[in-house]
Amino acid sequence: MAPSLNDDSPPSTIDEAFTENNLQPFFVLQKGPSRKSDRKSSGTGRTRRFDLSSASPKNSANIEDEKEDENMNLRMEAFEFVWSKIESTIKDVLRVINTNVFSEIQTWVHQSFDTIRSLGTPEFPEATQSFPIITDANSKRLFTGLVLTKNMEFVDDLLTFEELGKHLKYQGCHVANLSSLDFTAKNGVGGCLRSLLRQFLMSSLDPADISILASWYREENCNNPVVVIIDDIERCCGSVLSDFILMLSEWVIKIPVILIMGVATTLDAPRNILPSNALRCLCPFEFTLGTPAERMDAVVEAVLVKPCSGFIIGHKVAVFMRNYFVSQDGTLTSFIRALKIACTQHFYTEPLSVILLEFASEEDNLVFEIERHGLSPEVIWKHVFEFPSCQRVKLNKLTSESLAHAFSELKRLQNQWRAVVLCLYVTGKGEKVRLLDLFCEAIDPESYNQGEFDTNMKAEKDPVLSSSQIKGHVICKAVRLVRDLSTAQLGKLLKMWENLTVGIPEINGKVKELLSLLNVEDGKSSKKDLTVTPRRHTSRIQLNIEKDSKSLSDKAANLIECMVRDYMHPTECIPFHEIFCFKDVDKLQLALIGDPRRGIQVDLLEFQKLLCCRCCTSSSNALLPSMHDTSIMYKLAQEHGDLINLHDWYQSFKSIVLCPNSKRKPRQSPLPKKRKGIKEAESQSEASIQARFCRAVTELQITGLLRMPSKRRPDFAQRVAFGL
Amino acid sequence: MDFNAAEEEEFGFSRNYFLAKEMGSSGKKSARKLSDINVVDEQELREASANIEPKHQNDVADLINSYKSLYPKWVFDLRCGFGLLMYGFGSKKSLIEDFASTALAEHSVVVINGYLQSINIKQVIIALAEILWEQLKLKRKVSSGSLPKVQQPFSSRSMDDLLVFLDGPEMDEKDSFICVVVNNIDGPGLRDTETQQYLARLASCSYIRVVASIDHVNAPLLWDKKMVHAQFNWYWYHVPTFAPYKVEGLFLPLILAHGSSKQSAKTALIVLQSLTPNAQSVFRILAEYQLSHPDDEGMAIDNLYSISRERFLVSSQVTLNAHLTEFKDHELVKTKRHSDGQDCLYIPLTKEGLEKLLSEIS
Repeated sequence: MAPSLNDDSPPSTIDEAFTENNLQPFFVLQKGPSRKSDRKSSGTGRTRRFDLSSASPKNSANIEDEKEDENMNLRMEAFEFVWSKIESTIKDVLRVINTNVFSEIQTWVHQSFDTIRSLGTPEFPEATQSFPIITDANSKRLFTGLVLTKNMEFVDDLLTFEELGKHLKYQGCHVANLSSLDFTAKNGVGGCLRSLLRQFLMSSLDPADISILASWYREENCNNPVVVIIDDIERCCGSVLSDFILMLSEWVIKIPVILIMGVATTLDAPRNILPSNALRCLCPFEFTLGTPAERMDAVVEAVLVKPCSGFIIGHKVAVFMRNYFVSQDGTLTSFIRALKIACTQHFYTEPLSVILLEFASEEDNLVFEIERHGLSPEVIWKHVFEFPSCQRVKLNKLTSESLAHAFSELKRLQNQWRAVVLCLYVTGKGEKVRLLDLFCEAIDPESYNQGEFDTNMKAEKDPVLSSSQIKGHVICKAVRLVRDLSTAQLGKLLKMWENLTVGIPEINGKVKELLSLLNVEDGKSSKKDLTVTPRRHTSRIQLNIEKDSKSLSDKAANLIECMVRDYMHPTECIPFHEIFCFKDVDKLQLALIGDPRRGIQVDLLEFQKLLCCRCCTSSSNALLPSMHDTSIMYKLAQEHGDLINLHDWYQSFKSIVLCPNSKRKPRQSPLPKKRKGIKEAESQSEASIQARFCRAVTELQITGLLRMPSKRRPDFAQRVAFGL
Repeated sequence: MDFNAAEEEEFGFSRNYFLAKEMGSSGKKSARKLSDINVVDEQELREASANIEPKHQNDVADLINSYKSLYPKWVFDLRCGFGLLMYGFGSKKSLIEDFASTALAEHSVVVINGYLQSINIKQVIIALAEILWEQLKLKRKVSSGSLPKVQQPFSSRSMDDLLVFLDGPEMDEKDSFICVVVNNIDGPGLRDTETQQYLARLASCSYIRVVASIDHVNAPLLWDKKMVHAQFNWYWYHVPTFAPYKVEGLFLPLILAHGSSKQSAKTALIVLQSLTPNAQSVFRILAEYQLSHPDDEGMAIDNLYSISRERFLVSSQVTLNAHLTEFKDHELVKTKRHSDGQDCLYIPLTKEGLEKLLSEIS
């Protein structure tokens, strides 16, 4: 690499001078589309241009580009369609979960309002005065609903409280949502008041005064309760909150405020953060929301198991998301975010994902027209043939019809799979079988391919093997539960199965058969009801002794086993699933969980892998002078303890940079000159080495991997990270 | 199995930490001083650091160019409603700005330089509101709709109102957003909680998409789960560039520079606030002189004395010296031999630092 090459290198994006802009706190890099009228933005507008462009003569590469563009826009459209469908499904599910609590809260709000009104409404002269009315202690009581969220992660409940607000608004209440950020010591009680005024009066008046609120309420006819929702009181500043409560309680006759507060921990929470005089004003009631696990199962059921958008995730992705939820993040919000990232990734990488637009909207008779999707048929067929799932089944000729047929087959198999999973879920629901776990197992293509479900079932019958040793034990647990059921319970369960398998005659028929058997049995056993409740142990012994007199629950268990074996095809085993299924777990992980701590250290320690230069790739771990300065410094720092002596560090840096026996960088001074001027160069470069040392230290400081020397220890810098 | 791996990792952390601690305290600790290094003159050092010959220039350029293939993906992610968060070693400033100016040519782009010491986030949000206003006006003109009148100039509105305006209802064309590029969202000017909260609220606005970079390994600690999942909605990208942190490091002291510039505006402020008003005013004279004469080597003591006396800040040379001793003890002021042989005083702070300091003691 000659130096001249450096100069000629493409307009490097890094070496811009310190322009004025770099020292501005902020600046406008560019203004948006100024000629909006004559040029459409890159949005959906472009799709219509397709016909025109194909008519005008262009070279083929351009047309390909155009098609690619068009396809990308269509994919964007498809993504928006699919994601909005998923999002609205999730919202609906969460709303349904909260329906009961919400209506409970609503009736309580109205009852409380009536109670406040019964204490008397202010007369006209009183009402217009700008100070509160207090008649007795009772009139200072503030009705307070404590909503136990059962969830330490308040981020999941933000939406809940927002929805609660909407629900109450819809029922005629005046509602304001305050967040814990409104209760900061810095803004004081004025901050919350300002927020209230902004939400009720839709204007921000500067002298925030509660009498403004009182006169506003008077003008609003005084017929509806005023509800103030605070999402998480444990994150509020206690003194501000208590001031707020005391203030509201004094005005409660004039402004009938009903408080609703989210509590993440226990009912003790208000007692812990509020002083007694504020507590005395509260008249608390308790409500409880569903647990995160319940919500998760409901979301998984609606979005991933039941037909929703057509978009699905692969087994590895599902397991990753499950583990991230269970052991790392614990919020439904992040689970949904992960799903969105997966969805984005999928639509970006998979050209055929546009099909989802029709796949989701049209029911059965999918008319598949490749040309509509902006890609040339050859490209698509080639792409389709490259699917691993397609190669497995050794299709040799594909037509639009065969593809459409394959899709309807895929839908059929998915329906079967769904029915089995839901049957398993209703079976295990009472016994803490989580749908998320079940889902992860049910879409595992490997255990399906190896017939593992089957062998597991056999192992399950063999009492020597405990279920914990077996992969797929959630499914086995559900199956085992069937064996333990009493006849009455079994009857209920079979009814549920019957409903769940309605569209699938193969399974439905068998369930019906069992049900009728059960009814006969029921008729027989109605006299000796108590004797026929086969517990597990007895039934197992019976099983060993007389195989043909199987109890009904065994038959049911066998049925579900056979359903699992024959009808639960994981999607990843079906041809063409790649079009609908996102499987790249690594990409998802990288996008969801950035790990700067590890990432930046690895960059420094293994920079050769990224820069791919020839000069620094040596087999040994030796430090070479050609390496990146900061990288050398960081590697050297690894040899120190938690404190790094700057002097030593500098000396070792210097010795490496000047290392005489290692090969010099080829682009540096040619050999003969080097030997002659080495001493001169050394004294000359002293300043430059020091400067390089300084810069490397500065860069390490920017990355936060190094703490600068303190006054107490001026000669030592401190290491921050130990290990990746 | 995952749990075990995680446990093992955690154990590794603590083991490494204690091993490192042990190494540090086991007597082997070197006692050599920084001053043993024959440090060149600060001026020379700064000059040299401005002229460091970049290593691997071509490889770095190749690496950065290789990210160009990701631009369409980044645009796609932004359109999907994510915020992009870039991390990895090396300055990502030019990479992100290049992305914004090439791939987002049809959008307005505002850049915030988080590596600077002081950033007024409200100013940024006002500027964004003005841009959006113009954009909407233009669009309405095209679609011949009417736009509600602005009741109040943006600069006099409250933060909440501005954010509500930026979070307006979606337009017909969904992807006409304004892109906010935040260089070093973990930088010193943006690091406080309040600013991060405002940034998070800004990021969640319907008209705004954020592209940000972080460099600090602990940057994620700035955000809670609400900010990460519901507001910023980060999509992480690991894009090490190995480009030198030129601007980002501009305001950090050089470690070998005699510790003089170690004095930051912040510590200076703390010291100054503890001094008498007269002492503060004397310092102010010196600071103002230094700002108005950037090329001078410093202010002559006589000169300082005469001005201070004129303003009734000191009554005699002795009182001035008392102040100066105080200043020197706290490294607020340094003396230097002027080229004409006279001693002169200067404050070892950058221009920006000095301006900030002056504004804060007033």
